[in-house]
Amino acid sequence: MNYPIEEFFQFLKGDPLIIGATFSILLGGLAVVLGLTYFKKWRWLYDNWLTTVDHKKIGIMYILFALVMLFRGGIDALMMRAQTAIPENGFISAQHYNEVFTTHGLIMILFMAMPFVVGLINIVVPLQIGARDVAFPYLNAVSFWLMVAGGILLNISFIIGGSPDSGWTSYFPLAAETETVGSVYYMMSLFISGIGTTITGVNFIVTILKMRAPGMTLMKMPMFTWSILITMIIVLFAFPPLTIAIMMGSFDLLFGSNFFTTQNGGMDMLWANLFWIWGHPEVYIVILPAFGIFSEVITAFSKKNLFGYKSMVASMVAISILSFTVWVHHFYTMGQGALSNSFFSITTMLIAVPTGVKIFNWLATLYKGKIEFTTPMLYTLGFIPIFTLGGVTGVMLAMASADYQYHNTMFLVAHFHYVLIPGTVFAVLAGFYYWWPMLFGFKLNEKLGKIAFWIIAVSFNVTFFPMFILGLDGMTRRMSTYSEATGFGPLNMLSFIGALGIAVGFAILVYGIYWSVRYEPRGIKADPWDARGLEWSTSMPVPAYNFARVPQVSTLESFWNYKQGKEELFKGKIEEIHMPSNSGVPLVMGIAFTLWGFCVVFSWWIPAIIFAIPIFWTLFHRSFNYDKGYHIHVKEIEETERKLNHLRGEKI
Amino acid sequence: MKIDNSLPLEYSTEENRLKIFGFWVFLGAEIMIFATLFTVYAILEKRVGAGPIGADIFSLPGILAETFILLASSFTIGITVHAFRIGMTKAGINMLILTLVLGLAFVGIEVYEFFHYAHMGATFSASAFASSLLLTLGTHGAHVTFGLFWGIAILIQLKKQGLNAQTANKTFIFSLYWHFLDVVWIFIFSFVYLKGLM
Amino acid sequence: MAKLFPKSHVIGFISSIVLTLLAMTVLVLDVSFASKMIILFITAILQASLQLFLFMHISESEDKKELYINIAYAAFVGIVTIVGSLLVMVWDM
Repeated sequence: MNYPIEEFFQFLKGDPLIIGATFSILLGGLAVVLGLTYFKKWRWLYDNWLTTVDHKKIGIMYILFALVMLFRGGIDALMMRAQTAIPENGFISAQHYNEVFTTHGLIMILFMAMPFVVGLINIVVPLQIGARDVAFPYLNAVSFWLMVAGGILLNISFIIGGSPDSGWTSYFPLAAETETVGSVYYMMSLFISGIGTTITGVNFIVTILKMRAPGMTLMKMPMFTWSILITMIIVLFAFPPLTIAIMMGSFDLLFGSNFFTTQNGGMDMLWANLFWIWGHPEVYIVILPAFGIFSEVITAFSKKNLFGYKSMVASMVAISILSFTVWVHHFYTMGQGALSNSFFSITTMLIAVPTGVKIFNWLATLYKGKIEFTTPMLYTLGFIPIFTLGGVTGVMLAMASADYQYHNTMFLVAHFHYVLIPGTVFAVLAGFYYWWPMLFGFKLNEKLGKIAFWIIAVSFNVTFFPMFILGLDGMTRRMSTYSEATGFGPLNMLSFIGALGIAVGFAILVYGIYWSVRYEPRGIKADPWDARGLEWSTSMPVPAYNFARVPQVSTLESFWNYKQGKEELFKGKIEEIHMPSNSGVPLVMGIAFTLWGFCVVFSWWIPAIIFAIPIFWTLFHRSFNYDKGYHIHVKEIEETERKLNHLRGEKI
Repeated sequence: MKIDNSLPLEYSTEENRLKIFGFWVFLGAEIMIFATLFTVYAILEKRVGAGPIGADIFSLPGILAETFILLASSFTIGITVHAFRIGMTKAGINMLILTLVLGLAFVGIEVYEFFHYAHMGATFSASAFASSLLLTLGTHGAHVTFGLFWGIAILIQLKKQGLNAQTANKTFIFSLYWHFLDVVWIFIFSFVYLKGLM
Repeated sequence: MAKLFPKSHVIGFISSIVLTLLAMTVLVLDVSFASKMIILFITAILQASLQLFLFMHISESEDKKELYINIAYAAFVGIVTIVGSLLVMVWDM
């Protein structure tokens, strides 16, 4: 298929923003390449990062990727708020606005929230359960590189070929009307990264169920690990419907099948149905780990056990089961009958109950605790009231009849930002500050962190609270502009100012990271927060093999008891440790998928087939690979432990 | 690698047990893949536009042949695993070869069926029903085809290394995959073909 | 020879053929649509169970509890998806 050159290279259309963005990406990429070459770091990058199968390094790469995407998604948000700040604004065209809100949603959910969460999961879970790595380290790397492949495809779409523009939900038949290949980019990007996420689901279910330290029964697991086990079960069953929906959508776009067409029996609404069968569990996939992080932070900084451990577990199990039974609430107004809407209203209202149980358990944990207002704790304390506002507006939306008023207005936009940002974003930031010392051996600066928190938290409310009012006043979502007569102007302007505040807050946050890397004192003692989880019982920063000796657990509080001298955690002598070998094959797979996906987007079938060959090659290569890994010898372990920081008074 | 000789070879190391468990977990996701395909088929089954319906194009002989071939291949791969457990390695390998041959026959018939459907007007783009039918059958068929290549890879490793903990483990996991595809076919046979011909 | 073909496997194989033939009765029986669907459903579930227990050896694994939960959860989500989708999209209730 031949594309006119300015369809292919979108920046040739002359839009200054796109030209600017294209050049920044090129310059940024060039800077990285030049930097690596000048400092002769290619070998280091390859050996330590590109071919790693170490869960901690993979986690760090996930988070780095997420932070870059946070920046890109944030710019999208600023553009949207700028465009709607005044009535009849000409900042960006309606078409451009469509592309911006589409990419904003896709990037923030799939390439910011998911990787950030999965990154923290990767770093923390094996350590929390006393394991040395995940069950399938090679597959773990594959998951990462597939996510990157999907992310690259989506991110270059606005430069080459055209961005998707039908919303992150990509409803048919609108998605099929996209004039560029944007919708196919959407399909391929989600297809590839979705495979990676499904594999992560398998990996962590097996890891958590089979690789816990001796003595750690399921009901003695840390709450974060529990939340991840439940999350991964949801991942396992939620992503396949998305995969199928995407295959169907791709076939409609590329091969003229009739799944979601409006002719020959096609059913466009079926896309919405399948999308949300995945989409609803997806929001629980991003929020349950957040709940787990908050449980960890609250217990650490109120110096108390988590209140109601059993009900916390039960509530998450209930949420996971119910999460598959509520999806129709995303399209109450699409024309199905009253019985369907009633059924799903009931299940939707039901699912609020276990979350409520969790909030009360957290409050009970705080009650009479010795509260320490560290940065992670501030994010957690901020989460409780602000997320609750999002949650109760969710119950409002749950009522199908009422939802006919709220659906697809700014009220809805406010609701989901009120659960996603104080929920997921605050959580990953809290987790980021909380677990940073474990990985790097120094803390992030508290003062800058707290300033950033306050600016972000206040600005968040300034940005999104007006949207509740705007929605009730009748402003619909995804609207690039509005007339002055509607009266939507002032609140939108207020929202824009709030958005600028969020940007300032994040700028300070990033500056705080830079400042800490340069000036924060190193060599602090291990377990700097005096916390409860096993992840703090290693030497600090965590060595490659995690634990010199496998911990042996007998209660939920084993590490805490060990610090009080009441329990022995590490028995026996150090033995040599078996480690999996690095591999460059996952990287090859990621590159092959990127190139294959790119060719499919443009219907270049021969090149697509050619690039599919290395994908199959990697599978066969793996099958014939009998590499046994390598061993770290006792002497080396003792050496490493001697050089790292330990708990007060601890000898290796 | 510690080998536990009281367990069958495929379970005999910790890594082996992890891999088998991991594959079972993965099958949970695969169940959802096919459940979604069945959902789509159930919804689109009657939406034939101007094209043919199932009863017009399904031919019982081909369907029955596919079914009995696949059932037989499920039996043979079960015997393969059993043979390996009782030390009859050569018989096991022969049974694996037979499984793959039967699988190839299945795929061959299915390809013929697809041509037949196209000839009768049920091409991929004919109607929602046709698209859904071919996607469901095609996904299953693609899984079987992938399995053929996977099976050949294992066969080569068995010939080169003989039966050891790893090759036994791979064969067992392959057998789980193969049995699963047979279960999916049973549902296709019942709820696509028989339902269409009812 | 008898060693190679254990009774359980042979019985399983023959049962699956019998169940297949039983399922085919829906083509000739003169009963309601609902009854036919039930016949298909039961024969399919029985065959699936045969595969799971006799051939895939699900009950011999030390993790069998987890495996049962896995299959049950998958079946639950699958059924909710199919029935829920039919409810909304086809039966239009």
